[in-house]
Amino acid sequence: MDDLISEFLTETSESLDVIDSELVRFENNPEDRAILDNIFRLLHTVKGTCGFLGLPRLEAVAHAGETLLGKFRDGELSVTPPMVTLVLESIDQIKVLLESLETTGSEPEGEDRDLIKRLEDAAMGRSADAEAAAPAAPAAPAETPTEASEAENGFDQDLGRELRPGEVSLAELEAAFQSAQPDEGMAPVEASAEETPQEDHPAVGEFDPALGRELRPGEVSAAELEAAFQAAEPDPGMAPPVSITSDMSTEEALQTAMQELRGGSDDNAVGADGAPRVQQTVRVGVDVLEALMTTVSELVLTRNQLMQTVRGLEDDDLKGPLQRLSAVTGELQDGVMKTRMQPIGDAWRKLPRIIRDVSTDLGKKIELVMEGQDTELDRQVLELIKDPLTHMVRNSADHGLEMPEDRVKAGKPEKGTVKLAAYHEGGHIIISIADDGKGLDTKRIGEKALEKGLTTHEELSRMNETQIHRFIFAAGFSTAAKVTNLSGRGVGMDVVRTNIEQIGGVVDVSSSAGKGTHFSIKIPLTLAIVSALIIGCNDQRFAIPQLAVRELVRVGAGSEHSVETLNNARVMRLRDRLMPIVDLRECLGLDGELDTEEAAGFVVVIDAGGRNVGVVVDNVLDTEEIVVKPLSESLRGVSAYSGATILGDGSVIMILDPNGMAGEIISTMEDEATADAAAAAGNEMAQTQRLLLVRAGGEEPKAVPLSLVTRLEEFDPSTIEVTNGRDVVQYRGRLMPIVPMGDQIQCAEGQRQPVLVFAENHASIGLAVDEIVDVVEERVDLQMSSDREGVIGSAIIKGKATDVVDIAWYLDQSRAADVQRRSTSGRRRILLVDADAFARRMIAPLLAAAGYDVMPAGGMHEVQAIAEGEDRFDALVGDPAALERIHAQGLWTDLPTIAVTDWPEDSGAEGLTAVLPRSDRSALIAALDQVSQGEAA
Amino acid sequence: MTTTDQSDLATESISEYVSVRIGDQLFGAPVGAIREVFTPTSVTDVPLAPTEVAGLLNLRGRIVTAIDARRRLGLPPRPADEPGMALGVERGSEIFGLIVDSVGEVLRRPSAELEPVPAHVDSVWRSMVTGVHRLDTELLAVIDVAAVIGTAAGKEAA
Repeated sequence: MDDLISEFLTETSESLDVIDSELVRFENNPEDRAILDNIFRLLHTVKGTCGFLGLPRLEAVAHAGETLLGKFRDGELSVTPPMVTLVLESIDQIKVLLESLETTGSEPEGEDRDLIKRLEDAAMGRSADAEAAAPAAPAAPAETPTEASEAENGFDQDLGRELRPGEVSLAELEAAFQSAQPDEGMAPVEASAEETPQEDHPAVGEFDPALGRELRPGEVSAAELEAAFQAAEPDPGMAPPVSITSDMSTEEALQTAMQELRGGSDDNAVGADGAPRVQQTVRVGVDVLEALMTTVSELVLTRNQLMQTVRGLEDDDLKGPLQRLSAVTGELQDGVMKTRMQPIGDAWRKLPRIIRDVSTDLGKKIELVMEGQDTELDRQVLELIKDPLTHMVRNSADHGLEMPEDRVKAGKPEKGTVKLAAYHEGGHIIISIADDGKGLDTKRIGEKALEKGLTTHEELSRMNETQIHRFIFAAGFSTAAKVTNLSGRGVGMDVVRTNIEQIGGVVDVSSSAGKGTHFSIKIPLTLAIVSALIIGCNDQRFAIPQLAVRELVRVGAGSEHSVETLNNARVMRLRDRLMPIVDLRECLGLDGELDTEEAAGFVVVIDAGGRNVGVVVDNVLDTEEIVVKPLSESLRGVSAYSGATILGDGSVIMILDPNGMAGEIISTMEDEATADAAAAAGNEMAQTQRLLLVRAGGEEPKAVPLSLVTRLEEFDPSTIEVTNGRDVVQYRGRLMPIVPMGDQIQCAEGQRQPVLVFAENHASIGLAVDEIVDVVEERVDLQMSSDREGVIGSAIIKGKATDVVDIAWYLDQSRAADVQRRSTSGRRRILLVDADAFARRMIAPLLAAAGYDVMPAGGMHEVQAIAEGEDRFDALVGDPAALERIHAQGLWTDLPTIAVTDWPEDSGAEGLTAVLPRSDRSALIAALDQVSQGEAA
Repeated sequence: MTTTDQSDLATESISEYVSVRIGDQLFGAPVGAIREVFTPTSVTDVPLAPTEVAGLLNLRGRIVTAIDARRRLGLPPRPADEPGMALGVERGSEIFGLIVDSVGEVLRRPSAELEPVPAHVDSVWRSMVTGVHRLDTELLAVIDVAAVIGTAAGKEAA
């Protein structure tokens, strides 16, 4: 392709990106003339260049767009969203034409009469919107020479005819170029020029003597530039300035146009404060940089090689210069690395436009906040994250934020915010994308994951919210109820994740319902040169990126650490934690096997997917700065490697990929971690019991579930009376029977008798014990059931075998003399379903004591068996999850169903007659009584 | 690359081949397809790599993927004491080294004399051999270098 054209394409597409975002800014700040001037100038230049290059179709569209902009600028038209949309449309059309120009080398056939007509109509104020809007901006001061030098549709002397709508007179063009001249001074200046003090030089809006007029926003005075050069030159740490020769001096006018274009795109890099800022740069071809990088890489390698050779020599004549060579090489490497760095803001340029489109299309109000645009990262990395970022921001705006009315309803400001931030953190760059929308819909994600077969009900029930949220990164996953034209095609987040992981990054999500969603991406700053640990295994060397290495542990003879096996899985104890161990030999299918007993060598603790995994290697040899070379096509399928490199001695070694190496382990670990987390959560919440430890009739402790105890009391032994052969005390105006838990009530004179009070149906019963020892919270695992009366079984509590007391038995005892509660009504049958054996054992006797026949069932298969037996039941009692499953299978759906749980407020009450707290025994019995009475009636 | 080779053969009357020996067979690699010939030294073995990848080596600062031609052609492996020779082939930004037993002189044959591969030749060979020249003493099988390298890179499916 013609050099001119290709140069034009690069520059123009950059200008257009700037115009895109500037227009969005302009729409929000219609009074800001600086922005408008900028846009106008950029578009004008595009148009001008098109004319020179003989691209009439492009020129026509640019013309029409510019005319409309001109009206804004002259204050003849006020800025309205439809107008801006129209201008953006023309920009889009220009992009389409450019694309075709790029692929075919010429403008596509056809015309854009319709678009141009609409632009012209708008410019003439013929569109309804334009008519409705009264001119808002005051007439612009005659600030630029482009100011309508000819009247609208006026006669142009150069042209010899009247100007057509959308046309600009030659004089006007000339004037525009004139005004652009000072930009020609923008030659090689390093970025450090920005740091130079600028007070001495004319600031924007000030009079510049060299120019003979005031500086306009975005312009730099010649003096300032001069100073920047001065400041830039003496910097010794800087890589030699790179310059490119421009061989496009075919037409001077064209050059001028190009200069203007160049100045435009550079001027418009948006600073952290959102205001245009001056940035001096040189345009260098990417291939030039890449070639430079390769050369420097080779130089570094050669340096390393030389250093290694000389290390053994005693030649001081050689050592001095070599040291210097080494230092200079290092500096050169740093310098070249810097040229590869680009501010992340470059990848964000398109975002304001995208957000605007989303908000117009969906009728949402969205504010895009960007922080840390100046954060620099490697160009290569930047390219790779551009698309994922765009996608994520679009997602946040499209799916994350609610419609304005919903936001207001939720008590949030009408305008939603998408916040994008980037910052450095220890060799990584962290990018976060946060919205203040509705948050991820955990339930829907769960359902979708089930639907897509990504998980099972059981796994899902054990997952916490974050784990469920992570399903959005799974392949082919999309929860958007409707597919909008913006996102929601289901190829989103998994592609994002793959792209990010490809460059060694990690992406995670956190979300809280109603508050918003927050994505964070962590990626390495550069991929080119990394510090690596060189390890030996089976007489071969491998490199492990230093970033992934957490620590090194020596194992084997003479070391306190050793590799142990647990059912063939290797583990190592490290600071009281068990860490999974993989054998590199095994990972790579090398000969020889790790003898766990004899294993001597090193364990490299690596961070693989956020977990520590130990990798057994024979030797740790060195650390070296290595240049990462991409894997050959033939090897890309091998997940164990992330690349290859050439060491100082010239040999090629493979770079191990931590994630690939430990891949299998990680996947199993993830499963385990999920199970662990669920178990841990279960431990803390579901299965721990608060137990009251008492002593009664013996030294060994006895345990009573605290939830069953209504009160702890102490009575003076003298107050215990005997009536009708039973011990009673007067308690709150009533007589409360006292039953000894031990053989008898033994209480020394003067001491008070501890009594556990159980209240039921307004009647209280006291259980006398010798001593109340402690309250513990522990997981109860009934290990032995007991045939003894009054004891459910034994469990290990606080390291001691402890009897768990069967309260119901004692209550029965105390009531033995009472009339049988339900002698007449006939005993009702209850199916008790609870996965927790302890709960079953506690509840069953209670219900039995209350006069119900109880059939306990622990799991679904037991339930199934009972169902097949066609037993008749009057009610179902159990934990909500189990009951839901039973109902889901269509069993006993017509029966009253009472759920007992530790968190009644958390359980959905669907299909349940009642949800009661597990501790409230009397409520359960009351509910059952009510249910059976209801049936009887 | 295949197409350029064929067009070369079609348009020029004389074809030039680097003659190489792989196993007992004499092969000819079109001269245009070969970047250089070198002796492979200190080849790094790559565990878990496909069998035809003989390893990686450093050729003047560039990493070269060595492809064992014997493996590709389904021949028994070369004795360990014969390092063989390598044909350097550039493909895209990568350099591959095709390891052969030995490299002989450059042969010039009239293009018209190239005969198609007989139909009953093993299909693996047919996919990599573009034709056969009858020399006085033996047959010269013309290989498509890109195909020999290419399949290793999983391009056959594509």
